[in-house]
Order: sequence, then structure tokens, then C-alpha cells
Amino acid sequence: MAEIIEPFEFRQCSSLLKATGKRAKNIGELKHLISTVSEDSIFHHTYQYFLKGHILEYTSDFSQWAGEGLEESALSEHLANIDPYDFTNINDLRNELVRVIDEYIRMFPEPREAIQGNEFYFHETITMIFPLGIRARNLAEFLTAMRFINTESIYYHFYEARIRLGGGVDDFSRWIEDVFGKKELAERIRAIDPFMHSLEDIQKHIIEEVEQEVKRDMEVIDRCLTSI
Amino acid sequence: MFNEYIGISPKSDLTLLQMLGERLHKKSFLHINSTREGGGVAEILQRLIPVLEELGIQARWEVIEGDAQFFDITKKMHNALQGNPEDITPEMWEYHREVNRKNAEKINLDADAILVHDPQPSALIEFKKTGSWIWRCHIDVSNPVKEVCDYLTRYCEKYDAAIFSVAKFARALPIDEFIVSPSIDPISEKNRDLSEEEIRKTVQKFGISIDRPMILQVSRFDRFKDPIGVMKAYRIVKKYNDCILVLAGSPAADDPEGETVLNEVREYAANDPDIHILLLPPFSDKDINALQRSATVVMQKSLKEGFGLTVSEAMWKGKPVIGGNVGGIPLQIMHGVTGFLVHSVEGAAFRIRQIMNNPEMAKRMGQQGKEYVRKNFLITRQIKEYLLIWFALENSGKTVFEL
Repeated sequence: MAEIIEPFEFRQCSSLLKATGKRAKNIGELKHLISTVSEDSIFHHTYQYFLKGHILEYTSDFSQWAGEGLEESALSEHLANIDPYDFTNINDLRNELVRVIDEYIRMFPEPREAIQGNEFYFHETITMIFPLGIRARNLAEFLTAMRFINTESIYYHFYEARIRLGGGVDDFSRWIEDVFGKKELAERIRAIDPFMHSLEDIQKHIIEEVEQEVKRDMEVIDRCLTSI
Repeated sequence: MFNEYIGISPKSDLTLLQMLGERLHKKSFLHINSTREGGGVAEILQRLIPVLEELGIQARWEVIEGDAQFFDITKKMHNALQGNPEDITPEMWEYHREVNRKNAEKINLDADAILVHDPQPSALIEFKKTGSWIWRCHIDVSNPVKEVCDYLTRYCEKYDAAIFSVAKFARALPIDEFIVSPSIDPISEKNRDLSEEEIRKTVQKFGISIDRPMILQVSRFDRFKDPIGVMKAYRIVKKYNDCILVLAGSPAADDPEGETVLNEVREYAANDPDIHILLLPPFSDKDINALQRSATVVMQKSLKEGFGLTVSEAMWKGKPVIGGNVGGIPLQIMHGVTGFLVHSVEGAAFRIRQIMNNPEMAKRMGQQGKEYVRKNFLITRQIKEYLLIWFALENSGKTVFEL
């Protein structure tokens, strides 16, 4: 009887921005609002930061605003060093953000005001998760699909999956390990640092890793044939 | 019409549109605005309605009627929301409401979702029957005249949700507020692909020779678009790189300062044969398209801006864009990736020279810009977000949906 392979179902998420009407003009207001806004809002400005076309030196909207809106470079660096995936719940992440800002305010108590129109606007999102209608049953199909799925799908399976699955595990590496037992390939994919690459780069890296693996698998067959 | 976007819009947007179409099948979606032709809202609705119908949604578009007095009042409202001092008397507000009441009697307001565009028909909410009512504000309301804004807020709060174009336009309201960016239509006359022949003919028509790099700004002759600043930047560039400048815009008929600014621009140009000042009549979409496609670098050096969709239009044509860091421009230009954000004439000149001297970089920026627009600023994304808002309102309280 043929073995039943669990196919990889490509999905993606699409987000809709919702305004909260809350905005901060300086660090003090930012800290106060981070303490009080909804968990959805903290989630959007940290985890969902990677869904946007972003600048790699920042890792959240907060670090980007501190760096570019307020030109408080040191605070921006402190905030950028917070890894949202280190936290198992949003409130722990919120507390860490507040702690880092508090510490900075103690050292530099004179708040700098953002120029008008450059304030920090707190948002939430409505997120829609939906299948792309693409399924892969083997690594070759997976490789083909990876070449033309979009970055929102990479976000869903590589970043968002880390929240669902925990332990720095993403959907791609989990499927590759669980279904094909390719632990090394899975580890190589997990080793791609989510903070150091854009979504496009992550897509490229995964394609390269899988491509090498598929080539290696084909070469094994070649070697078998030549040894006959 | 939906099929025309296949291969142009992101596949995922089209997939999601179809899925939402299935879920909202045979439900009714009514759009109400104040004009059938002219202006960005009417342009979008002309496309949006047939696309919604093809998705299986019963879409309808109604236009409110009013006399000159009504539109004079709503013009004042529009100006006041944009920050110009205007006095709107209680009688004017009453007249605005009365015209809306008469329209409510004539228009069939029964629908599952009703999207009301801009302030003119906003008072229709007073005559709500059924369905989810959403108010769509297309105006820059970042610094409105407080009294006018407060009065309109009374209507706005009665809606189920409001939509603004940019986050900083949103107000603190007790209803759901969504941010939906404006969009361009890739298959419209202004943005569709043109043949080399079509481009050549247009440029020839204006007597422009494109044997040298072209700097282009398309905008009304308005101080906030800083046409003089663009000319100053061109003069700095000209010391280093031979180039031509094209300033193309429609005469601003509703702006008393339009003529003065145009005269200033002409005077400053001082008969420089390499500066082309083009006064384009309304509906010059194909000409604008061809000019944008002929440019080496496109400017939108605004000092104040609503959203500035001309930026996305130029990016869609694969051009690097230099824009003022105001209004919606920084949402479209990723600094150093799809173009440059500038804060001064000198900054603009430096970036123009950088682009002219690095054709490879210019090409890369243009390609990245086009992809950025494909993902974020096409009409299909805007339609998708309208449907998402409607879907979210029907399933109120949930923030994550799995289809």
C-alpha cells in the first residue's frame, strides 16, 4: 500500500489596519501607552513588524520610531535587541518594553518631542488567514511552490508559526522533519536568523537549502545507477 | 473586468477577493457619493462596482443630488476639513441635512453594507434603515477646523465604522476606525502599458526632445507642490548634468492662487528652453502616462500633501521617485529602496544627481518601486480591504479569521 504523505498546504495572512486613536509624542507617552494599549496592538507593533517592508536595523515599530521619529539612537538599539519570540505571552513582552524605556528615561530624563505629524500611532489589526490553493507532496513540489509564493506566505509559515509552534520552530522545517525525517535540512532552515533577513531573503535562503537537498537526493540515484 | 487584473495584481489578493466574494455571495453592497464623474472617488467606483458584481455581490452605486447652494456648503466643509478657515453657519448645516433627507427619500438605502464616501452624503446616516454603515473619508483631516470637524463627528459616530486613508487622519472615535490607503488602477488609461510609439507621439506633441535625461513633476500649480523648489533643484543639477525639466499639471480652477503660482513658475523659468511647463486639460491621462514613462526621475517635492498618489503612479512605471517627506509620500517611498525622501532643494538636487549618475541603481529602485506598488497600492487591494471590513463588521469581536 502506498504511503500517505501529509501534503504541505501553503497559507498566508492578510492584515487590515485598525486605528486605536492613541498616539505618543515622546518617550514618556510611548511608555504609558505601551502599558495600557490592547494586547492586539502590542502584537501588531512587534510580531507583525516583520510582515512589512522594513529596515533591518530595527525589529519593531517601537525601535524604528525611537530611531527615526525621535532620533534616540541608543533607545532604538535597546528596543531592537528585544526578541519578541523570547516571550510566551504578550504581557511579558509588554513589561520588557516598559522596563527598557524606563531605564532609558532614568538615564536621559529630558524627553524629546516628535515633530508634528511624526507621532507614534498605535494600531491593531484584523487578520485573515487563508489557503493559497497550493499544496506540495514532495520536496520537488515544495521547491517549485517556494519559488512563486509571496512574502506574506513566508511570514505566516516562518514568523507567525513561531508563535503557534514555539521553540523557534517554523512550519517549513517542521513539515520537512516530520514527513521526510530530514533533520539536518530542518535544522539548516531553523538556523536562518529571522531578525537578520528580509522576507525575500528568507525565501531565497530556504529555496537554496531545499534545492541543494533535492540535488543531493538526485545524485544519490545517479550514483546508484552508475554503480550497477 | 476581474480577469483583467490576473497577472497584474498579486495572486493572493485575487484569491482572497474570490473567497470573500463566496462568503458575501448575493449580499448587497451600496456605495453612495456625490458625483458620477470627475475626481478620484468616482474613478474608483467606476471600476469597483463591476468587479464586485463579478464576485457575486449585489453592488449598487447611488449619487446624491443637490443644488449649487448645497455644493457650495460641502466645498466649504471640504476646505475646512483640510484646515482652511471657513465659517459654516447653523443654517448651512441645516440645509446640508435637509438635502440629505430629501436624497434619503429618493435613494433605496436598503442594503447589507452601505459605504458612504466623504462629507457630502454623510448625514444620510440619520435615515439609516438596515445593514452595516461605513463612512469613508478620502480627505486629509490631519489639521481640520475644529468646529467643522466636531459637527461632522456627530454624524460619524452614528456609523458602525469609519475608514481613513492615513493613520494620522484618524480621530479618537467611539467606533471602529480602519486605515485603507488609496490606490491606482493598473488598467486605467493613466497607468496601462503604452507602446514606444504611443510614448514617442505624446512627447513629440509637447515638443519635448528626450535625448537627454528628463526630470518630471506632475502636479497642480500650487505652492504646496513646490514647483519653484523643483526648478531650483534642476538649476543645481544642471551645473553637473545636462538634463531637461518638465512641470506638467492641470490649472487649479478652484484655487484662486493657481494663476499667481503659474505666473511665478513661468517667471522663474525665464525662458530656459530646457524647462517645459505643460498646462494639461482635465482627462489628460494618457499624456501623463506617457510623460511618466519618458522620465529619468520623477519628483513629488511637496511641502504639504494629502496622499500624493502621483508617487505610486510613477513607481508603477518603474521610475525612481524623489518626494518630500510629508503626508502620504513616506508611506509610498521607501527611502533608499524605491526612491528618496528629501527635506530641501539641495537634498532634492543631490538625489537627482545620484540617480542620473547611477543608471543601474535607478533601474533597481524603479523595479523595487513597481513591486512595492503592486503589493500595496493597486485598486484590487483597496477592494479587498473594503470587503474585509464588511466581513469583520459582520463577525464583530473577532480579530483573526481563518477562511
